[in-house]
Amino acid sequence: MAALRTILLTSAMVSGTPQAADLRVAVRVQDEAQVAPYGELAPSSTPRADLVAATDELAREVCRRIRSRCAISYVTFGEILPGVEDGRFDLGFGNFLRTPEREGRVAFSDPIFRSASRLVGSPATAKTFAARFGQPVSVDNLRGVRVAAMEGSQAQAFLDGIAAGRDLTVVATATTAAAFDALRDGSADFALMSIRSGYALISHDKSRRFGFVGPAVADHGLGDTVHIILPRHRDKLRRSVNRAIAEIRADGTGHRIVRRHFPVNLD
Amino acid sequence: MLPRRYPANQVFALLAAAFALLFAIVIVVLAIDQERVRESSQRLQQQTVPKIIRFQRLARNLDQLRHEGEQFFAAETPEDRRQALHLVMLVASHPSIVEHPQAAAAARDTEVFLTETKDLAAQQPASLKVQHAKWQQISRRLSLLVDDTLIEGANLATADLEDVAAAMLLTRYKLMGATALIGGFLALLLFLLRQHLLRPLRRIDRALSSLSVHRPAPKFPDVRLAEIHAVEEATRRLHDAMVSSDAARRELQLLANRDDLTGLMNRRHFMESAAAELRRAQRYGRPTAVALGDLDFFKSLNDTYGHGAGDAVLRTFAELLTESLRQSDLVCRYGGEEFAFLFPESTVEQAHILVERFRERCAAHEIQLPDGPLVRVTLSIGLANAGKGPIEAALQRADLALYEAKRLGRNRVIVAAEAD
Repeated sequence: MAALRTILLTSAMVSGTPQAADLRVAVRVQDEAQVAPYGELAPSSTPRADLVAATDELAREVCRRIRSRCAISYVTFGEILPGVEDGRFDLGFGNFLRTPEREGRVAFSDPIFRSASRLVGSPATAKTFAARFGQPVSVDNLRGVRVAAMEGSQAQAFLDGIAAGRDLTVVATATTAAAFDALRDGSADFALMSIRSGYALISHDKSRRFGFVGPAVADHGLGDTVHIILPRHRDKLRRSVNRAIAEIRADGTGHRIVRRHFPVNLD
Repeated sequence: MLPRRYPANQVFALLAAAFALLFAIVIVVLAIDQERVRESSQRLQQQTVPKIIRFQRLARNLDQLRHEGEQFFAAETPEDRRQALHLVMLVASHPSIVEHPQAAAAARDTEVFLTETKDLAAQQPASLKVQHAKWQQISRRLSLLVDDTLIEGANLATADLEDVAAAMLLTRYKLMGATALIGGFLALLLFLLRQHLLRPLRRIDRALSSLSVHRPAPKFPDVRLAEIHAVEEATRRLHDAMVSSDAARRELQLLANRDDLTGLMNRRHFMESAAAELRRAQRYGRPTAVALGDLDFFKSLNDTYGHGAGDAVLRTFAELLTESLRQSDLVCRYGGEEFAFLFPESTVEQAHILVERFRERCAAHEIQLPDGPLVRVTLSIGLANAGKGPIEAALQRADLALYEAKRLGRNRVIVAAEAD
């Protein structure tokens, strides 16, 4: 009888866990201060904590939907893709835009939402730029300024690509918060980042000196759908994650998560 | 000109091939239509629906933009207005708005207007009321854009759904047509089977069931199937064989029952027939008489003119008998120049009249021999009643009477005494 009970219990456990092994999940933090010792999430009272909370909640929901126990690590954006690529992480939540270069290194889930990029800066700097170059500042006519961007992001890749021809100084930072800090400490004139990160940083900025400047851009690889990344050739895991994304979108869970942390719901 | 006939296996192979070809064409036509429906559905699912969703998102984001603009004017403090403006700029930065030229222009105008309003309000708070009146125009423009976007998305669905519906309707008509075509083909096939196979087989069955030598050979209408024609021909040949066989049987039977020389019954057949007739007459109590006759001096005729002359006399005598006696009377060559008679439905008296008349006719009849001379022969007859007892007993009594006729001088009829 004991043996039968063991067999039944084991069968029930196996049948209920399609992803038997634990998953190592990387969640992007906006601020290095959020990387707490032992990899735990910093308290929500930490400045800019709500920036990561939505991503963290989404990661946990996906883990629940694919019935996996996830060990979540909170790391900077630049650590996620190499970590997934070399197998240290099974899933990476960093709002990754899909590019051919990245597709050669990792696999992408179905889209989770759409994003664009926009310059952040002070209105005064924007006016100076306009007066100097005779046209309002925009991503397309950036020149002769210092622009901060998160290391490993598409914004940095774009800026690196045009920097030499336009006399740009690219200030690479570990996080978007650090890029925003570069504006505050005067080491950069503008910062190029995703609109969500930009909004979160601007709206929490106590100095009230910064805002979006110039139009948003979705081309040049700076905007489109964003995805969860995972190691290549993990098709079974990718299919499970895609099913979870579809469920989360279909039953409104995704919208509710965003609503809890942002005043508007944009996907 | 002989009608052309076709082997059944070729005909059915041709029909099967035609049906297979027709069915294949129908399948291909339906498959093409089904593919068209599938493509339309796939286009609807993979292209149109995502487009519609994008239009819906754009409309929702534009409405969100308008809503956040309203929140801007509802803000009570400069900080609240600043936060509202950030939110407006966040919404205006969404890819769905950035990628849509009209929406992007409206969003840009909204951002510029609200930024100017924020700056103006910081210096002149009263200007908000004036700016709000201007905002109403921008808000209406955004609302119209929301409506236009929703309608544009809905129209996409309508157009594609109409395409799908048209394709499905066409498929339905074709399916009905194909069903009718296949039904018609099957009906034609059944008709041909009935006309050229089942009906001929039934005709052959009836012909075989009623095949008899007493009926004419069966006649069949012209048919197109070679096998059916072959069976009909075989049926006709079978009838011919039956008729030939029956004729041969009759001939053999005749040969077995007749005397070779005279053509009269032979003794065996006479005895069988006479016994049967006698049983019938005795069962119903009907009168019957028998007689035995013997040509007088036949041996000396043979000795004088030869056996050929004797045979000629016997044949002529037999012909005379056949002409003179009733059809119901039985007569046979009993042996040599001796003849036996049976007279059904006749008393001894009636038979006596009959044989007496024949005896006189025979005696008066001249017979032409083969080598020229004419001869006359007489006949002695013994007559007996056969109303009781077996035929053999009656003939025995007739034989005794014949002996008596011979003894009394020949050329006479003697009636035998009745049996005890």
